[in-house]
Amino acid sequence: MIGVVDIDTRLLEELSEQSQDLNSDAVRITRDALSDFTAATGPQPRHWWRRGSTMAAAAGAVGLASTRTAAAAASSTDIMALQTAASIENLAISVYQTASGLSFIKNGNKTIAEFIAKTTTQHQAHAKAFNAAVTQAGGKAQNAPDPKYAAVVKKTLPSIKNTADVVKLALTLEDVAAQTYTKNVSQVSSAQLRKLFASVAPVEAQHRATLLAVQALLAGNMANLIAIPTDVAKLPAAAGSVGFPNAFYPTTNASPISEGAVK
Amino acid sequence: MTTAREGRHLPISEDQLSRLTRDLETAHRDTLPAMRANAADLAEDIRSGQGDARDRAQHPDRRRLLLGAGGLAAGLVLAACSNDGKSNSASSTKGVGAAPSSSASASASSTGQYTGDLQVVALAVALENQAVGAYQATLNAAKAGKLGTVPPAVATFVTTAMAQHADHAKAWNSVLTAAGKPAIHNVPLSNQPATLAALGKAKNYTDVAKLALQLEDQAAQTYLFATSNVKAAAGIATAASIAPVEAMHAAILHFILGQYPVPDDFLPTDKAASPALLTV
Repeated sequence: MIGVVDIDTRLLEELSEQSQDLNSDAVRITRDALSDFTAATGPQPRHWWRRGSTMAAAAGAVGLASTRTAAAAASSTDIMALQTAASIENLAISVYQTASGLSFIKNGNKTIAEFIAKTTTQHQAHAKAFNAAVTQAGGKAQNAPDPKYAAVVKKTLPSIKNTADVVKLALTLEDVAAQTYTKNVSQVSSAQLRKLFASVAPVEAQHRATLLAVQALLAGNMANLIAIPTDVAKLPAAAGSVGFPNAFYPTTNASPISEGAVK
Repeated sequence: MTTAREGRHLPISEDQLSRLTRDLETAHRDTLPAMRANAADLAEDIRSGQGDARDRAQHPDRRRLLLGAGGLAAGLVLAACSNDGKSNSASSTKGVGAAPSSSASASASSTGQYTGDLQVVALAVALENQAVGAYQATLNAAKAGKLGTVPPAVATFVTTAMAQHADHAKAWNSVLTAAGKPAIHNVPLSNQPATLAALGKAKNYTDVAKLALQLEDQAAQTYLFATSNVKAAAGIATAASIAPVEAMHAAILHFILGQYPVPDDFLPTDKAASPALLTV
């Protein structure tokens, strides 16, 4: 067991300094880029939000044929993105359902078992929504799991021995789901689909936040605090922040739109 | 309340601290190289006069990353926000959770200074500043002993969430200034007086957490609204990358309040703030 110890705050200050060094780097590069932006655009800058309308006007003049081509391409992208999303949901459902049958889950922490049950139904709702959108767009519903992460799950399942192992695997799936949908928002062609992906990504992120907090409590041998309501006064300080490690949700691990597309 | 600024030691497990540190470093290192490459691409793209269509198709994350990296520059700077005369003079009886629904259109703001997509950006800055200010006020009240005993986890939540909201505000403000518009450092929202009044009445951390949850829900749902109502690709991507973070804040607040952390199957928009709340 790793207990709670007193850490010299000078260590935290050093870590903060390192963090600020990285931030300073980001500031410098960003300023350079913005300076380039200003220099390139001159006294009457055409900023990205203005160029959008310019491009829209230009697109209108291109002609019907190319518009149809663009629409067809966008539709294909939409369908693949929706199918991949459904495949990620299908895998998550499968993993959570499998987890719910494990003895240490069934007979373990009641709150974790309830979380797994509730999260399963939420992923089912997501899969249903993505597949409904797929069929509405003229594509085939995806009822199979994401192949890349299905392989990861297949490899991992035999080594799962306790609740922490389940949480770790679930975290992987929730994070890839959240990252993928966050990226999909910028990839799909309609406002309706943007809203769909943007309404699901935060829910997966909330699953991840909860699992990160649970993981930290399990690691600190404080499973008794995984309860609703919990004893807030007894929670370790880190429990208040471990659930949201990034200021901006990353997309570096987002699945490609074709990953779970129906072949 | 125990914080690093007040004492030399913090009660935290080494394991937890190490994990947090690794996550922070990973976040930075994952973001910076990509941001460098994409910032260079952005400058080149602008010089060559390429438009949004090609940019969006080939580099959908480019400007979001630029904005995100700029936002990270806020670092650990925890800026308190003030309320200017204009904001204070705006009369409103709306609570922070009583913002108009997403059906409200992005029409011209009260002074017309920010229009179109920039109006949504201005709204985003104002909401982020509102959150930073609320959390700073919480820290001040806690330090003054006005909230009773504040659990360590709540204190950590407040400081970390506040820093992330400052990052978000910085990112959105960089968009405004790049557009030749003034950055927003106050809270030009008509519901700010009600927010301040609610904060002033808080007697304990539970009261504050309830109010914070309203602000986080409002922010997350406003960004969801933005993803389907903003035209610019970079604006959409930035909103999409922030909404999950606000939702994560909300999840932890639910847990602190003894509520289920993921109450909705899909993020709703009934608590989204309307651009009509803006007073600039």
